[in-house]
Amino acid sequence: MAEVKKKSVSFPRYAEYSCAFNYIVERALGCRYVMPPALTKRTMELGTKYSPDFVCTPFKTILGSMIEALEAGADTLLMTHGLCRLGYYGELLEQILRDLGYQFDFINLSDYDMSKKKEYLRILRRFDPKVNYARFLVQFMEGLRMVEYVDEVTCEYYKNCGFDATDGQYKRAYQDFLTAMYTAQNRGDVEAGYRAAKRSLQSIPLDKPRRPLRVGIVGEFYTAMDAFSNLEVEQKLADMGVEVHRWMNVTNQFLRYGSGQKNLRVKIQDLSIYDMGPTSTANIWYARECAERGYDGLIHIKSAACTPEIDVMPVLQNISADYKIPVLYLTYDAQTSDVGLMTRLEAFYDMIDMRKKVL
Amino acid sequence: MEREIIKIGLPRALLYYRYRVLWRTFFQELGMETVVSSPTDRAILEQGTALAIDEACLSLKIYLGHVAALIGQCDYILVPRVSNFGRHRAMCTRFESTPDLVRNVFRNSGQKFLSYEVDQEMKKAGEEDAFVELGKSLGCTAKEAKKAYKAAKKAELGHHKERVQRYEQQYKKEGMKVLIAAHSYVAEDPYMGRMVSDYLKKAGVIPVRADMVDREAALKHSRELSPTCKWEVNREILGGIAMHKGDVDGIILLSAFPCGPDAMVNELITRRVKGVPMLNLVLDSQSGTAGVETRLESFIDIIRFQEGKL
Repeated sequence: MAEVKKKSVSFPRYAEYSCAFNYIVERALGCRYVMPPALTKRTMELGTKYSPDFVCTPFKTILGSMIEALEAGADTLLMTHGLCRLGYYGELLEQILRDLGYQFDFINLSDYDMSKKKEYLRILRRFDPKVNYARFLVQFMEGLRMVEYVDEVTCEYYKNCGFDATDGQYKRAYQDFLTAMYTAQNRGDVEAGYRAAKRSLQSIPLDKPRRPLRVGIVGEFYTAMDAFSNLEVEQKLADMGVEVHRWMNVTNQFLRYGSGQKNLRVKIQDLSIYDMGPTSTANIWYARECAERGYDGLIHIKSAACTPEIDVMPVLQNISADYKIPVLYLTYDAQTSDVGLMTRLEAFYDMIDMRKKVL
Repeated sequence: MEREIIKIGLPRALLYYRYRVLWRTFFQELGMETVVSSPTDRAILEQGTALAIDEACLSLKIYLGHVAALIGQCDYILVPRVSNFGRHRAMCTRFESTPDLVRNVFRNSGQKFLSYEVDQEMKKAGEEDAFVELGKSLGCTAKEAKKAYKAAKKAELGHHKERVQRYEQQYKKEGMKVLIAAHSYVAEDPYMGRMVSDYLKKAGVIPVRADMVDREAALKHSRELSPTCKWEVNREILGGIAMHKGDVDGIILLSAFPCGPDAMVNELITRRVKGVPMLNLVLDSQSGTAGVETRLESFIDIIRFQEGKL
């Protein structure tokens, strides 16, 4: 009998986590990973064309990315479940793609009751009927380690890259790190890439004032973290000479805290008694944390029509009033030009810079 | 010493249309008074729009207007957190955020708010537990609260059953019937769905409601149209459509701009329900009814034309 053909699995492009998806699919699941092409204007045009009008923007981005993945040779698409509208993305994405005529296998986590451990085994068998669970677990944990490294290095990068005293070595070191993660074949490669990045980021000379401008980023889980979707707002800010801080990432939201962010809620009881949405507690907590630490400004990032983030805005307005911290609210739709964003960022920068000099 | 009667304010928007009987009976049973804000009018809509974030849905804007109208009129205003009744039985995240949202918007008003929390999936807190806690927070014993909840739930279910029966009668009538698929707070609000059903009646069409069906049966039937739909109310509507699409001449998918769940579920309905004329109508805060009437008129014409009656 001929050998069973390996599945060609793809998952939509998402921030810089695609390296970890690649690692997990290839190493842990024993399938081939089809890296969706980098997100471009074309991705957004495809996604917008076939999406309902007022669905949140990540849906459009993901639809476009899935179409490009199918064109690139994927035969199996994976979609996650989620607490907001994300939990319904899968079924609608599949319907739209099937109506367009694409043929593929669709693994939708919303089909499974994720509170039951048995269901995880059923999902794994969809990828490979003869999956080796022990091997999967070991490799999966290594993939998660990669996620943690990506988050840690990214965090350090945006904090300092605006103060690079050389001719761009800092940015190159970060790019080298990402390349190492995207090409890692085993645990040794991951660890080596991480250590090399830490070493070089720490050795590159920085020219940072004693009290630099510091800005905290809060917002929606997709748009706030995906540089393409937010038109590289963090890089743009950093390039103006700002320390950019963002707590929200996969490590902090899922690996460290899980869904029960009880201990984050302690400090925001006066602002919010309940979870107001999937990421509200973390966002409100971090916004107040930034305010208390004397940051110069906050930027709230969300996609158009993101219900949970719209509902967090009144709380942020109160934090802004209580701590006298300026907040810039950015809503992203399927734009392809960043001129408008640049104007708003420059105005915001001038304002917080002026405040810092006066206060 | 006689205890002063506690007055609870109920904003006439969002979940009020689903739970009015439950709420009123519960507080009545506990010897409390309820005040309901008056039906939506221009002033309520305008005030709510001013208080809300621009991008929020029309339903929330109207809700905030109703809350504002009740400020100072009662001891507490009831703003519950209803997250879910179990897996794939969630409410829109907006119903998770309303208590904190309202507290933040009205934090300088001095008004006290009252909440209960239904979150079966994460906290194992069902509706009954929530109402017992609510009763206790108002100074009643758990036993009193439980008794009041039982009576209130019975009244609510009885009331819903009666309405369902009334709508079932509509299907038997002669004439063109159009199924309105909408959340109850959209369908019944004078500034949203009511103008649609009023116009239909005036045009000699019988409006029926997709969500006015036996809820358990609807949840089961919803799976025929959408196996992973996660929203309780949308599943009731999907079920209603699955059960009655053969009994009506057309379907109006009616939603408030920009309703999150409807934006996705209605897209799916238009892709999966075939053979029935369908109108996708999204309402925003309009100052007149002419635009909506034109669309309804042409929709009715299309149905008549298809049936060879025009």
